[in-house]
Amino acid sequence: MKKIISIIVIAIVFLSTACDDNNFKIYTDGANIQFGPEETRIYATTYNLADTTKAYTFYYKPTTVTQDTVFFDIYAIGGITDKDRGFVLKQDSVAGATNAVAGIDYIAFDDSRVKNNYVIKAGKVHTRIPVILLRNAKLKTNTLALKISTVANENFRLGEKTNLWRKIIFTDKLSQPNQWDANMIKYYLGNYSIAKHAFMIQASGDRWDDDFIANLKADYSLLSFYTSFLKTSLINYNNAHPTSPLKDESGVLVTFP
Amino acid sequence: MKKYNIFIVICFATLLHSCFDDGNNFNYQTPEVITVTGLNASYDKISQSDSLNFKPTVRSTDPKADFEYFWGIYETNVQGYPPKLDTISKSLTIKYRIIQPAKAWILEFAAKNKHTGYTKIITSTINVGTQFTRGWYVLKDNGNQSDLDLFLTPTTIVPTSSIENVYSLVNGKKLEGKGLGMNFESTYKSMVTGTNANTRAMFIFTEKDASIINTNTVKEIRPFNTCFYISPTVKAPNFMIVGSSSDYFVNNGILYSIYTMSSNFGVFGNAQMRDAINSPYRLSKYYLTHTNNNPVFFDETSSSFVSASGSSNMLNPITDATGTAMSANKNNKTLLYLGPKGITTFEGVAVLQDKTNPALKILSVITPSTTAFKMVNDTLLNTSKLYNAVNYSANVGDESMLYFVVGGNQVWSRNLVNKFEQLQFTAPAGETISFIRHRKSTETGYAFNYVMIGTTTGSGTYNVRMFTKTAGNLATTPSVTLTGSGNVTDVFYLSPSTSYGTYPNAY
Repeated sequence: MKKIISIIVIAIVFLSTACDDNNFKIYTDGANIQFGPEETRIYATTYNLADTTKAYTFYYKPTTVTQDTVFFDIYAIGGITDKDRGFVLKQDSVAGATNAVAGIDYIAFDDSRVKNNYVIKAGKVHTRIPVILLRNAKLKTNTLALKISTVANENFRLGEKTNLWRKIIFTDKLSQPNQWDANMIKYYLGNYSIAKHAFMIQASGDRWDDDFIANLKADYSLLSFYTSFLKTSLINYNNAHPTSPLKDESGVLVTFP
Repeated sequence: MKKYNIFIVICFATLLHSCFDDGNNFNYQTPEVITVTGLNASYDKISQSDSLNFKPTVRSTDPKADFEYFWGIYETNVQGYPPKLDTISKSLTIKYRIIQPAKAWILEFAAKNKHTGYTKIITSTINVGTQFTRGWYVLKDNGNQSDLDLFLTPTTIVPTSSIENVYSLVNGKKLEGKGLGMNFESTYKSMVTGTNANTRAMFIFTEKDASIINTNTVKEIRPFNTCFYISPTVKAPNFMIVGSSSDYFVNNGILYSIYTMSSNFGVFGNAQMRDAINSPYRLSKYYLTHTNNNPVFFDETSSSFVSASGSSNMLNPITDATGTAMSANKNNKTLLYLGPKGITTFEGVAVLQDKTNPALKILSVITPSTTAFKMVNDTLLNTSKLYNAVNYSANVGDESMLYFVVGGNQVWSRNLVNKFEQLQFTAPAGETISFIRHRKSTETGYAFNYVMIGTTTGSGTYNVRMFTKTAGNLATTPSVTLTGSGNVTDVFYLSPSTSYGTYPNAY
């Protein structure tokens, strides 16, 4: 009997250890601010660093367009509040690049025309921040870099280090569309060059911008048509110019995969 | 004593093994046999009109059988989405009005014996049609415009009535130009149902126009201009055909294709190049195509046979077989005729004329392998009837014979083995032969094997006489004769079970 009681006691002791509360860790570390992917992709880890750099060109816009807006997604970490919370952006210099100048190439973040856009609204943890680029003559011959980073203020501390900055590469020349990505390079369009891009636009009469290429990606047969069309067009061009086949701005022969 | 105890323990241990429960599920009874009778292998039904009205008889060898039933229906020939089995009844008797669009569907009947758990499943093919999905289609023209006549065959292959000018009746327009031909594609992609899906479609092409129609409705899916991503500047269709995993459209001698094994919307792609430097070419109106092989064309510019793939942007060169009588490339010939000789086999017959010496004409039996293209040639005597032929049709899949037209009013045959030529048909006075073709089908209840001869009368009417044949020789009187107004250039029998492989495509 004594043995049985001992066994029961031991069993109760063991079982009692299985009944501890599960003490989930709740974030209580104040509000942070950081960039992120589009709202629809915040739970897709492969998109954690998406949109870090965006390319933009005024090339396709009518000459009457003097400014345009590029958007980034930014997130408040640490939950919602019942009041609007302003955040602060600043420009960082990009080494080795021609950096955009506030007031000349873009509207400064502290400019009264845009300052009120940099706010996380009450009850929200996300907003899309507009960066207004200005068109000017030097963009016809230059490609500018505008690196943006967050600054700690009374509302937010800085978030994850990898998500504290975004960059825009912009020009008024042709530039590599974001959709002309590694997959397009490998299988359909090959390496980017301005000469190739201009040839594609001239040969097809299409814009070959992000929207156009994204549309092609959604329709394989259309993408196949255009890749075949471009190859044929390039051969026809080179046949018509036997001594001066199409080369890019670096003097390399233009080819398609 | 100790040994005795050990012996006892061993015995117990051994016996213990023999005392396990027999947990197997072997069943030594005679297996139950469930039989279902009263359902045919296939039925033809008209959408929105006919019903499924069956009460099959179900029997079982199980005397305690207690059945529950299930009827379901699902579509065949599906690409891009999984077929869905729709439950349409759970009783033995089914009374179900057909609402499915025209195509082949599978009706599934299941009888489950609740006593034993066994289920017997029977399927029937339901060929759902419309008034347009069964009958003889005749492509005819008045010299300037083309249209279709439809001869309805509700019960047998012999028509009982007709719908004249059915194409323009449905679409409100005729096709411009003289008719050239028709070919059927059962996996053509279109949005006629609201989603991009396989559509039973007919390619119709004339000298100046083309149209892809939904055979369920005869409504045009695409006119010429929307058949391409960039419409050709010259509108001069030659033919539209079905090949292995691809559809092809030759316009003004240039090849366009759709690779049907990948996502597509039924739009023909970029013009295929002749080679890597885009040399000029012009394809002949004659070709060989096959459901399991890439097609073979003839480039009139270089006097070369070429092949193609729908997924490529360039024609494929052809390699000669060892021992071929003539090279497939740069052979300095004009192609007078090329057509299929087999259905399941890929072989053809051609008539060629030398460009330098036009008096030299050659009949060639071709094994059109792209890597071992073999031609077995027979130089034609100028005294042979075939030497002066103007219209040809190979006997497809039966006798080794070629039919051809001489003098505008006679059909002759030539045995491809012994070269024997024989008069097979003479058109009545006043009639000119405009069309000749051999077609056959093995569809139950509608099987036919005809050599079809189309003639035009002086008054602008046509007769299409369809002859059975014995050892390749035509019967003296036609089994079926179609009559109407205009000049005939092609005749096609369509039924719900017709697929793209039913008839070899040929000019």
